[in-house]
Amino acid sequence: MKKAVFSRLTLTGVVLSTSSLLIILQMLHIQNSTKHQELSQWADEEYSYAIENYTPERGNIYDRWGRLLAGNEDVYELGVMLEFVTNPDTIARTLEGVNNLDYQDVLNVASKEYNEKDSIYAVITDFLPSGVIDVLSDVKQSYEIENPYGKNADLPSLRGLIWSSHLKRSYPENSLASNVLGFYAFRDRQEGMGYYGVEEYYDDLLAGSPMDTFMPRNPYLLESLPEVPAGASLVLTLDREIQAMVEKKLDEALEKYGAVSGTVIVLNPENGEIYAMATQPRINLNEYWKYEDRFKETTPYNRAISETYEPGSVFKVLTMSAAFDAGVVDEEITYYDSGRYEKYDATILNWDRKGHGEQTMQGCMQKSLNVCLAWVANEKLGKEKFYEYLQAFGIGQRTSIDLGGEEIWPLGVPGDSDWYPVQILTNSFGQGVAVTPIQLATAISAVANDGKMMKPHILKAIIQDGKQYNTTPQVLGVPIKAETARLMTDLLVLSLKNETSLALVPGYEIAGKTGTAEIPVEGEYSTDLTNASFAGWGPADDPKFLVYVWLEKPEASPWGSVVAAPLFSEIVKELVVYLDIPPVDAQQSLVAKEG
Amino acid sequence: MARKTKSAYKQAPWRRQLQSVGVSLTPLIAIVAVLSIYLIISAQAASAGLEIMDMHYDEEEILRIIANHRTELAWKTSYTEMQKRAEKSGYEVAPAENVHFMIIPGYQGQNPVLLAPPPGSDNTLGPIVNEYYQQSLWDWFYNTFLTTSTPASEVSE
Repeated sequence: MKKAVFSRLTLTGVVLSTSSLLIILQMLHIQNSTKHQELSQWADEEYSYAIENYTPERGNIYDRWGRLLAGNEDVYELGVMLEFVTNPDTIARTLEGVNNLDYQDVLNVASKEYNEKDSIYAVITDFLPSGVIDVLSDVKQSYEIENPYGKNADLPSLRGLIWSSHLKRSYPENSLASNVLGFYAFRDRQEGMGYYGVEEYYDDLLAGSPMDTFMPRNPYLLESLPEVPAGASLVLTLDREIQAMVEKKLDEALEKYGAVSGTVIVLNPENGEIYAMATQPRINLNEYWKYEDRFKETTPYNRAISETYEPGSVFKVLTMSAAFDAGVVDEEITYYDSGRYEKYDATILNWDRKGHGEQTMQGCMQKSLNVCLAWVANEKLGKEKFYEYLQAFGIGQRTSIDLGGEEIWPLGVPGDSDWYPVQILTNSFGQGVAVTPIQLATAISAVANDGKMMKPHILKAIIQDGKQYNTTPQVLGVPIKAETARLMTDLLVLSLKNETSLALVPGYEIAGKTGTAEIPVEGEYSTDLTNASFAGWGPADDPKFLVYVWLEKPEASPWGSVVAAPLFSEIVKELVVYLDIPPVDAQQSLVAKEG
Repeated sequence: MARKTKSAYKQAPWRRQLQSVGVSLTPLIAIVAVLSIYLIISAQAASAGLEIMDMHYDEEEILRIIANHRTELAWKTSYTEMQKRAEKSGYEVAPAENVHFMIIPGYQGQNPVLLAPPPGSDNTLGPIVNEYYQQSLWDWFYNTFLTTSTPASEVSE
């Protein structure tokens, strides 16, 4: 009996041991088989990590006081998980009219057949605001309570309808400064990029570095998650209030004077910071896809940097500055203006077709005498010096302003195949030479800034990795001496005062020059179509602003002194308040009180 | 007689059984104890890992919400909106001739905007995860009982 029990126990032990041994052997076999290695590798590849495409938040754009000009808002993509859709009709009826959705279109999407390989999810619409999603969420939940899991096909159900949030570019100021900001084509979520202006020029900085990140599924491996930094934010030199004021004044002037278009640039000549840059047409940046409706054919997006034109008499500031700087004329020298200057088989006439007799250089500028300036350029400066100065002022060269789309018109100089001697005469008063408004504003800013020409720029600071990096103003060149610049400023202050210009601003010493350039039509200059402009700066003793105004083909009057000068004055009257610049008498009394 | 004496000192069989069971179970209990500790720590690590993952998604969502709120605020304080509010409240733009300038002692004018600290300022965060949570059991045992040096985290505190 005892032996039998032992035998049974022994047998059981042997069986269990053998089974265990076999299990262990099988485990070892599986562990070391090639199939295991393949499966293990496959599992590692498929399930250890999830590849997540991470697009960092696009950087914000602020004005100089930190007011948001371009940011990002949360919107939703709406779609269906086809496997779980139980009632496509409910989905179509619920979404009909939302975001202009059509019942049939939604029904077609929601009724698609589920296929594990290539038809799992279908997008219905995108860029829905959170308010719509809140409503949909409530409706979906109420249907789910009445009809759990959508089991009853006769009852409504939004099962399968899902949404996911993402960021969309948003421009809270709509069209304000649209020509400067440019736009980000946010509707293209895969290939979207910045177009024009700041959005184009600083696209790489703003976008950051989108990357595919490996997210470990194994929680033990989650010690350090990939850090994808957001795109850099930009602080611009623009002042929102000044920009809005300038755009308003420009729009009013365009309507009042019947001009085709216009451009105004307000900059600080001391450091090249652009306070405002307004032009027409503009678009609501939140509807950038309507771009082609506003910018027909070859209309440039930002005329201030992309459209070249013959500036006319404003250009005389450069010619006369060059002559004074070269020492070929002085305040005493006079010129007898007969009303005609004949040279190189061409006859130069004044704007009024009259002669003005004996004139000082100040008189030549005040009366804006083409004949006098042609004489100065041709006989006093000479072609070599004249063009050397123009090149030093940056004419024919890019200012390298940090905005996408800057254009230039090459300056024809002696020796070029397309340069003729008569050009020195016409160039001296701004005809036969083409510039962009920013080019000319930059060149003239040298006169306002003691001869130092600062690089115009729109970027004030970059915010990256939690730090703010301020930009440093750059000097483009020093085309004239400081004494010449001050002399020219005084001369132009006097000119404006003497002619009781409409550009004058009560209480302030302003220097400036009007310009009226005839526009070539089919090879001949038209006297009816003009570019009317004005460039002025102030306060004359320590300029804090330079305002450049250009009105294209004004109908009310062709003259810059009649249409551009008053616009300049209107702008400066408000600008001095924004910039905290007291009038001369107030300044003197403040200084006296302080003393 | 001698056999009897020997038998008198022999332990009771149940005691011997208990001893042998105890001896054989001791290493087993030790192993189970260590395994339990490892299991608890592993569970905690896994739980922390999942929490990190959740927090990662939460962080993404919070950043989106912040961006959205910032933009919403900008819409509400946009130039057009502010102008509407100003007009509604009876304000109007002061013409230059109505503006009076005065000296305010110490006032330097509006300061340039500073949306983030300048480079060079040290605002970097220290390690977020406490050192204790990054140690293995052996590290903890070694640092606590076998060395006399103070842990780095305490020094920094």
